[in-house]
Amino acid sequence: MTTRQFLISAWNWNPWVITICVATILIYSARNRFRFNRKTGWLLAGTIMFFLTLASPIDTLADGYLFSAHMMQHLLLLLIVPPLILLSLPSAPVPDRFQNGHWKWLNWILRHPLANWFLGVGGMWLWHAPMLCNAAVSNVWIHRLQYVSLLLMGFAFWWPILSPWRKQRIAPLAGMIYLFSACLGCTVLGIVITFSPVEVCSIYLHPIDRLGILPLIQNLWGLTPAKDQQLGGLLMWVPACLIYFCGIFALFARWHGETGDEAIVPESKTTKTHLQKSHGH
Amino acid sequence: MSEAASTFNAIETPAAASAPRGLFSWVATVDHKRIGILYLLTTLVFFVIGGIEALLMRIQLARPNNNFLSPDAFDQLFTMHGTTMIFLVVMPTLIGLANYLVPLMIGARDMAFPRLNALSFWLLPCGGLLLHFSLLAGGAPAVGWFSYAPLSEAPYATTSGVDYWTLSLLILGVGSVAASINLIATILTQRAPGLTIRRLPLFVWMIFINSFLVILALPALNAAIVMLFIDRHLGTHFFAPANGGSAVLWQHFFWSFGHPEVYIMALPAFGIISEVVPVFARRPIFGYEFVAASTVAIALLSFGVWAHHMFAVGLGHPVDLFFAATSMMIAVPTGIKVFAWSATMWGGAIRLTTAMLFAVAFLIQFTIGGLSGITFAVVPIDWQVTGTYYLVAHFHYVLFGGTFFAVFAGLYYWFPKITGRILSERLGKLNFWMALIGFNTAFFVQHFLGLMGMARRIYTYPDLPGWGLLNMISTIGAFLLGASVLILLWNIIVSLRHGKPAGDNPWQAWTLEWATTSPPPAQNFDRVPPIRSRRPLWDLAHPENPDPIVGGAAARDGFVLEKNRVGIVSFLITESVFFLMLILAYLYYNNHDMNGPTPTSMLNPQRTGIYTLCLLASSFTIWLAVKKLERKKHSAFRWLLTLTILLGAVFIIGQGREYLRIFHEGVMVNSNLFATTFFTLTGFHGLHVCIGIIALLILMALAFAGDFKQGRIEAVKSIGLYWHFVDAVWLVVFSVIYLRLLL
Repeated sequence: MTTRQFLISAWNWNPWVITICVATILIYSARNRFRFNRKTGWLLAGTIMFFLTLASPIDTLADGYLFSAHMMQHLLLLLIVPPLILLSLPSAPVPDRFQNGHWKWLNWILRHPLANWFLGVGGMWLWHAPMLCNAAVSNVWIHRLQYVSLLLMGFAFWWPILSPWRKQRIAPLAGMIYLFSACLGCTVLGIVITFSPVEVCSIYLHPIDRLGILPLIQNLWGLTPAKDQQLGGLLMWVPACLIYFCGIFALFARWHGETGDEAIVPESKTTKTHLQKSHGH
Repeated sequence: MSEAASTFNAIETPAAASAPRGLFSWVATVDHKRIGILYLLTTLVFFVIGGIEALLMRIQLARPNNNFLSPDAFDQLFTMHGTTMIFLVVMPTLIGLANYLVPLMIGARDMAFPRLNALSFWLLPCGGLLLHFSLLAGGAPAVGWFSYAPLSEAPYATTSGVDYWTLSLLILGVGSVAASINLIATILTQRAPGLTIRRLPLFVWMIFINSFLVILALPALNAAIVMLFIDRHLGTHFFAPANGGSAVLWQHFFWSFGHPEVYIMALPAFGIISEVVPVFARRPIFGYEFVAASTVAIALLSFGVWAHHMFAVGLGHPVDLFFAATSMMIAVPTGIKVFAWSATMWGGAIRLTTAMLFAVAFLIQFTIGGLSGITFAVVPIDWQVTGTYYLVAHFHYVLFGGTFFAVFAGLYYWFPKITGRILSERLGKLNFWMALIGFNTAFFVQHFLGLMGMARRIYTYPDLPGWGLLNMISTIGAFLLGASVLILLWNIIVSLRHGKPAGDNPWQAWTLEWATTSPPPAQNFDRVPPIRSRRPLWDLAHPENPDPIVGGAAARDGFVLEKNRVGIVSFLITESVFFLMLILAYLYYNNHDMNGPTPTSMLNPQRTGIYTLCLLASSFTIWLAVKKLERKKHSAFRWLLTLTILLGAVFIIGQGREYLRIFHEGVMVNSNLFATTFFTLTGFHGLHVCIGIIALLILMALAFAGDFKQGRIEAVKSIGLYWHFVDAVWLVVFSVIYLRLLL
């Protein structure tokens, strides 16, 4: 099998994935009354990323062949899809039922950045304990649980930075520390996986060649299990940190774009009048 | 706002502001200006020493097959030259300048912690003397400034040179970290009203970011050095391959400090240029936000590129690929800066004073150094030229042609403020042209020598075509450069006596340090002018055409920080990195089977778990204690404090008993890598617990003596935070060492 044949044939048209993607787009558009703007773009990007994660050849490779492909899925679900979806949500005040009603506990968790941080970074660490990592590859239900939990933990992690409920966002400087320390957390694990002879996911060391693509991977692409693991560690280390850095720059830009009065008057309209007043003095 | 413009913000002046005189007053000083001057003078001495070392090497290399120096002397000289220039000259010079200027530029009376400031300075001569003492104790270190293992291990570096090197760098590292914590706290908490973070002068901004780089990068070096020291003196095996250790791990540790270090030496220089260029081009800096943001980008990326120093090690294709990419990426923010400075000069009314000449030369030479730096990101080129004079040429273009030229620019620019007299422009121009010609003659030819294959760090070379000539040119250039430094010294001495009086603001500059007298009074300012933009003195001089107000009318940033808290949090950040390195070492070595004691055979997670619970409980009690103190319930506070100490003591006793049990099995720190990493990691944590207990005991003594009743409880809160940190570290250590056994 050549690379080209593989890339064409290895798509996994999972009905669940397609249903979720289509439903997300339809519901979002319906709530927006089919008007399209930049936020729709974020949603489309997020949905496409989600689709690529679970339906493209990445998924086929992650399914018992390549640790690095598995890591790619991991990063996409934790660090790419959730922020894109969060960016697509219209900003709104905190709904009442989250402040007082049934969902108060969820609000409590979401308001504590330390908890979100541990969910995000912990998600990365937890699923790379050798036992859990192997279980997720060999058992389909644990595998699904892994996907769902990664997505949820991703949302939790990005919530303090990108929450549509502006009040729940943390201050830009604090946000920068939040993201930088998360980068350190990933870096440590990435370094260990890259340079240590540890077998994170032993199942990837001896892949069962169900599709007959092992010669393609190991000979043509040169991805031996050792290199594969190194690549996985590097993916978690370098690109993951670059994603966090992008977040830091976005925060920096947001901070420098603030007029300085926003801390007191959050709505943009009132800020304008406020500014005019202060100029008038 | 118009009212604020007419009245200055008053700063309370101390009762006795007259400066004390005499030598002792300099030794005992806690004034940031005097400490800054002490820094600059000390580094000047070391600069001359390091320069002489360089010239000796250049004499040796002037002719092929020369035997002016023995191979061993040559090794010692390049090690001492590198170490001196980096740790005793560039870093402390920049810290010294920051020390003098930052409080003045932000309209403060002094640094946040003046006594800590004095300590950070005095560690510098201590470390410097200790390093040079090795010359009397059997020979200087001869293993290069990065002390690669296993060459630096006991069997191969047999003199005590490396020991002096480790101790001195440890001391200097502590000094730099303390100075940086001080700078962070100063910049965050001591700014004059109106000077929001977004209105900071770029020099201050870059020092701010740079200080974070220091507190994050230096502990990595400190941890590595501690391990090397333990290796050499306790016979352990961190970096000794003969017993399973990894020499490559030393390189990782060293360069994970070493590459940020490159930017630690460059960012403050960028800051100087960002002040000098606008003033002498008579235009505000082009793209302030971009210069500020690119600094953050450089700082972040600098932590992700270190492996490009190790391409020749053989890390594997994937690693090379990723680090080549990030290394090229870091050129982008640096390029943004160069463009911003050039754009500032574009169309400006440039005054070519000596300071400006040095700044322009910086721009060109730093760009050359940067471009040759990018070539190292291309892995095959790196393989070809790493370890040759091409590399030597590259980093001298960055560090001498870049940083030193910026420092000279800063010296000519700020000397009037520091001394009240302007440096002679006539001598200055001579100094500049000689330095320019000397520097480029000395180092440009080294590019060619490197490409021809001349290896660095070899005491001599064969008589190959062209090599003798190019080396002779380089040596002549080096002596010209040395002569230019003599002219600078002469200029300083002459101008101190007969220089033109400077007045408050000789260059018509715009930042706050020029608003006070030259030299500034002990209290710095009697009144700080109102600040609403990035150029307060421009606004003052041109009320009809002020700069646009930056960041709205708010006089303060959205957050208010307390200096003790900032200080302790910065300290804990730097401590975390130190522990991170120890934990990494543990993880790195304990992931595969080895001979001798193993975690499974030696450790008992359940028993240690109980002691862990004690430590966690103590975190709760200290939290409660602080709460009680805030509500002024003093007896409950004392009671809870005592309980905290007891719980901490129980933990330490448990730890000690575990050590004893392991010792009884005949296992020592040098038994194998498990024992090495286990004892180092838990030992350092135990040390921190003990320090915490001592601090708590002092608090308890104070509390029983009736202190804290006036509500000055910052000390209690700080130590409480430290205690939480020690507990949090243990949670991680416990998971890494013990909980893993249960999985």
